[in-house]
Amino acid sequence: MKPLLWRSMLRHLTRHPWQLGLSVLGIALGVAVVLAVDLANASARASFMLSMEQVAGRATHQISGGRQGIPETLYTRLRVDLGLRDVAPVVSAYVTVGADNAPRSDDHPGDRGELYQVLGVDPFAEAPFLGYLDELSEAGVDLNAFLTRSGAALLSRTLGRSVEVAAGSTRMTLHAVGWLQSPALQHLIVTDIGTAQDLFGKAGRLDRIDLILPEDAQGERLAQSIRALLPDGFKLERTATRNQATVDLSAAFSLNLTAMSLLALVVGMFLIYNTMTFSVVQRRGLLGMLRALGADRRELFSVVLGEALLLGLAGILLGALLGLWIGSGLVHLVTRAVNDLYFTLNVREYFVTPLSLLKAGGMGLLVTLIAAWLPAREAAAAPPGAVLSRAALEARWRAALPRLSLFGLLLLLLGFVLLGFSSGLLAGFVGLFLLILGCALLTPVFMVALVRVNQGLIRGLPARMATRDVARHLSRTGVAVAALMVAFAATVGVGVMIDSFRGGVAIWITDLVNADLYIAPIALESGDDTQTLNPAVVAGLRTASGVAAVSVYRRNSVEIGGRPVTLLAVELAPRAKTGYRLVEGDPETAWRAFEQASAVMISEPLAYRQGLRAGSRITLPTAHGNRTFPVVGVFLDYGSEHGRILMQRGTYQDAWDDKAISTAALYALPGVDLARLREELLSCVGAVQPLWLRSNRDIRKFTLTVFDRTFTVTRVLRLLAILVAFVGVVSALMALQLERAREFAILRATGMTAGEVGWLVSLQTGFMGFAAGLMAIPVGLLLAAVLIFVINRRAFGWTLPFQVDPWILAEAVLLAIIAALLAGLYPLWRMARTPPAQALRSE
Amino acid sequence: MATRAPLIRIRQLRKTYLEGDATRCIFEHLDLDIHPGEFVALLGRSGSGKSTLLNLLSGIDLPDAGEIRVDGQTINTLDEQARTRFRRRRVGFVFQFFNLIPTLTVEENLLLPLELNGMNDAEQRRRATLMLDQVGLGSRRSSYPEQLSGGEQQRLACIRALVHRPLLLLADEPTGNLDDETGAQVLALLLKLHREAASTVLMVTHSREVAEQADRLLYLEASRVREIAR
Repeated sequence: MKPLLWRSMLRHLTRHPWQLGLSVLGIALGVAVVLAVDLANASARASFMLSMEQVAGRATHQISGGRQGIPETLYTRLRVDLGLRDVAPVVSAYVTVGADNAPRSDDHPGDRGELYQVLGVDPFAEAPFLGYLDELSEAGVDLNAFLTRSGAALLSRTLGRSVEVAAGSTRMTLHAVGWLQSPALQHLIVTDIGTAQDLFGKAGRLDRIDLILPEDAQGERLAQSIRALLPDGFKLERTATRNQATVDLSAAFSLNLTAMSLLALVVGMFLIYNTMTFSVVQRRGLLGMLRALGADRRELFSVVLGEALLLGLAGILLGALLGLWIGSGLVHLVTRAVNDLYFTLNVREYFVTPLSLLKAGGMGLLVTLIAAWLPAREAAAAPPGAVLSRAALEARWRAALPRLSLFGLLLLLLGFVLLGFSSGLLAGFVGLFLLILGCALLTPVFMVALVRVNQGLIRGLPARMATRDVARHLSRTGVAVAALMVAFAATVGVGVMIDSFRGGVAIWITDLVNADLYIAPIALESGDDTQTLNPAVVAGLRTASGVAAVSVYRRNSVEIGGRPVTLLAVELAPRAKTGYRLVEGDPETAWRAFEQASAVMISEPLAYRQGLRAGSRITLPTAHGNRTFPVVGVFLDYGSEHGRILMQRGTYQDAWDDKAISTAALYALPGVDLARLREELLSCVGAVQPLWLRSNRDIRKFTLTVFDRTFTVTRVLRLLAILVAFVGVVSALMALQLERAREFAILRATGMTAGEVGWLVSLQTGFMGFAAGLMAIPVGLLLAAVLIFVINRRAFGWTLPFQVDPWILAEAVLLAIIAALLAGLYPLWRMARTPPAQALRSE
Repeated sequence: MATRAPLIRIRQLRKTYLEGDATRCIFEHLDLDIHPGEFVALLGRSGSGKSTLLNLLSGIDLPDAGEIRVDGQTINTLDEQARTRFRRRRVGFVFQFFNLIPTLTVEENLLLPLELNGMNDAEQRRRATLMLDQVGLGSRRSSYPEQLSGGEQQRLACIRALVHRPLLLLADEPTGNLDDETGAQVLALLLKLHREAASTVLMVTHSREVAEQADRLLYLEASRVREIAR
């Protein structure tokens, strides 16, 4: 440790506060984005786990199953036949609070209210469960009031002393007999099991049975006895396993977000490299002097790396604060997307875990060290004479250009090979990052080529000088342009991917939702998918005047490969079939087999995940045990990443003994006034059961709203990546131009006006922005292609169209030029304020 | 003097540079001896290789062939780390453009060679402070180099080169960037320090007048060194 050596180097940083500040900000933003995404993902995960733990209490196992729930008799048998004591019945479903219960339509969308989970428990269950109930509440539970008072409940204080809740068509006022203690529980309501059964119309039925089994051989034996007692379709699972399986469903979604955040960090890594290279280049004189005085390579290497470490630590500290702030905003977007796509979270807390902080900090530090390694070697490895020489570094860069480009090409090749010969999502992301890195390494050679082309095209010495200098100072301009290119390529890539996805979803939903009106019980929208249409409603729809045809749907869920796959039992009107676009199987043959031969059609994600094709067979757990069905077609579907199975309703009724209908779609006769038809239906079938009636336009709009909501977080991350790149480019170009103060002063002394020099600077920075933007287009399109055809396919199993909006491309070039031009403003201002004589004196 | 072993002994030195596609020969079969305590001036035209010779002697650069021995040690066979240690301990450098560390104060610049050599005990620091007073920079110890005049900067560079008591002082046109009067002051200081420390000095200069102050005069031309008679 040589304090003076350190002091001599560190003072260089403090003498350039703007540069120092921007470097720290660059690292900070990279770390902040990674931390924010990690916190948001971890919060969604922790919220889910907490939700599950709170509703499962101390149970080690759960019995679940049966579309209509578990008969109470099973609970009795467990207690009587098996003599189990640590067992508790549970009814759990969702209610809305503050919902407008009027029939819904385009004209009257209604207030959907807020979802709350109701947990109906039995206070007479044995001690361990009672203790759990006490833990939930602030000051224990008044059992007497809980059991005897009508509508008694444990409520969150935010709901007040009493609250009206709606479950489907049933409304009930619940009264607080105690308060839930944690603010994290504000979307939970606990009632007596009888109250919950009344509320959800589940008399005599349970949603699950909680058990506490010993964690030993005896517990295992008990579990086997219980399993032997369970009817088909019911299962006993460990609570932790079940929770983990559910939370894993959103793993691909989380991985996508993490990858996006890592992109910001990669851009941040370029910035750190850029900053450190600059600081080495700027101090080549100082380094040479120190080497001549006897400072050895190891000492200089350590000092430069130590400096980077200090910058990294400052960046990480600031990044942690920024990350906490951004994360608190991001967590709402992520939990909303998780709610839209995967499962309902009754806990929406912002969890800050030390592990997230450690991970982001560690990655920031690692990236800083990797990025600073080369500049530190640059500072230390060159002999003192060469460090003293200005031209030596540029000469080395020029000499290394073919090697650098070759390495870039090699990485590209590796990336393509990895993408072509792997099948996992992680390998897909690694391939994607190899492609990005390969393209970044090709940026300098592209710039040199662009300058050469440009030299032949432009007139005027200043303009030629400006662009030529970009190629001459490749050690400084190369990395800055590469960082800017990567950021804007990511913008183009992600932008084209989202646009293509949205385009695909819009076409799909337009084709699929081609009926005139859609009808469903209101409770379906409240999250209670056990609600069905009253048979009188279906009959009314079929016989209503003005109706040409009716499609009916029954929605169920089956587990395939640990994932919940939607089973749709349908009776389709002829026009409804045209809405399904088959990507495999001849439509005519497929539909004929579907209707006559108990065959099924499956969605593309399910086919991809299970390796199924038209002609394969699929085994499903029916009410009568496992049964195998032929697959006659694979249809395009963006409705569920886990997959959907389409089955003729008659086949379904035989296999599942379920005649119910969840929703219906109707086609009006030509010339019928739809608004009038809806009014007539509302007054006729709406009187039988509270329903919503929606037009296809309303459903399409809602689908695209959910889509946009899901991608809000992606758009935010894309903007953050641009911000990181912008900071980096401002920092790099500012350093470059400030370093050339003496050169500008010479130009001023030679007779150029401040305006002319200003024009020169702007031309140069603008050219760099243009080069970055121009290269970002093909690289961005390549990224989009990989995201669309590899990443999305592997993560979700669907094929997307490739649609390019020219505005996204133009936007990238324009933004890159603007960013670069803005970066030149401060050096221009400095130059205008500094008399040339002073600049000439003080190089 | 001839009876003593030379401090610097160069034999059959060859050094070339690549300029574009052409190879330019700087030295060919160059032999040179410099004895301990000598003050030698090296003259020559621009590009004759004067500064290259200083770089080779300090281990900053390496020859293509030949041998450079300083104080009995063949420095061109040492590895990079050993050459740096050799330079750190045995050599002091004075440059035409001062090459002071702009981010260190006057006093810190002077203490840096001591610190690099692990000689920063109180006694050495006291001696350094004394040296500052001797060259009239005692009151400027907290200033940064850019706040000094050219003469002050070169005076500081001179004492910095000698503060760690090197065997060999290499001066590359130490008066080249100064006016005549200031140059003369700096030269007088160099001579005084040389006498006090009994160090060996090899000074590159363009000025015959400056060179006349040295014990020996050498002229570098056509890749060889020629002794100039007084």
